[in-house]
Amino acid sequence: MKKLLLLLSLALPLSSFAGVVSIKVSGMVCSMCAQGIQKKFSSERSIRTLKVDMEKKLVTIETHDGKNIGDETITKLITEAGYNVASIERK
Amino acid sequence: MSMKNLIPLLFLISFNLSAHPVIYKGGWSLSSSNMPDYSNNYVMYSLNPRLALGVEHWRLTKNEINNELGLLKLNHLLWRANGEDYQSNVYLHGGLGIEDQEFETKSTRSAWLLGAEADWETRKLYSSVKYLQFRDVYFGQMRLGFAPKEASFEELQTWFMVQAMIINNVNQELIITPMMRFFYHNSLWEIGSSTQGDWMINLMVHY
Repeated sequence: MKKLLLLLSLALPLSSFAGVVSIKVSGMVCSMCAQGIQKKFSSERSIRTLKVDMEKKLVTIETHDGKNIGDETITKLITEAGYNVASIERK
Repeated sequence: MSMKNLIPLLFLISFNLSAHPVIYKGGWSLSSSNMPDYSNNYVMYSLNPRLALGVEHWRLTKNEINNELGLLKLNHLLWRANGEDYQSNVYLHGGLGIEDQEFETKSTRSAWLLGAEADWETRKLYSSVKYLQFRDVYFGQMRLGFAPKEASFEELQTWFMVQAMIINNVNQELIITPMMRFFYHNSLWEIGSSTQGDWMINLMVHY
């Protein structure tokens, strides 16, 4: 039992690093301009996929296993693309 | 049409495409505007989301007149509001360069440009106003646009637009140009025809 708990405690932190981050973006009304968001995040090695939902003004990113991206980095990239972060939600 | 009147017309055409004077940090903006006797091309690099630096070139060939203009251009995002469903911007334009005229004799002189523009847009509506000054020439421009469908990020975005322009010393008439604008990924096209019958094709790409 102790061994099982030990294995779980080692495995859980790894899996918890990989995840989905939903970013609500203010001002994202032009799809061509929103390309800038895609461009800015493309240089981030931790990102596996990025989806832009113009309807919900949402940018959803999925990180690689064992990788993470901080709120500060997300805010910096969105700001450099010319937009504002309204909220960041992690799943 | 005199040379004095052709130069502001050249500027008028060159500013037909002005959707994104400044883009994301590190982004390149390449643009080409074309009408029957004119062309305008520029390359701008955005140092940050508020400042873009680049070069711009115009060529006019009409009635044995050849006119070229090269400018070092600076665009500045003065103010931006990012709302939940809208974005609004105020930009400043500035440029310095050389104007080369060839009509009977050839002459070269320095050139400058100052201007400002403001826009407000949602996913369905677009509006912008612009003011430019070149020597004693003043330009006013207004654009209104409507998107029949709110396209997704991966879809072609189509806009119906109309542009109204006036130039103080060419004529006092309002020049109306209905046009269509298309976005797809990182590229933009505009196709239109003025009420005077001149076609217009504009292209823009962001990298």
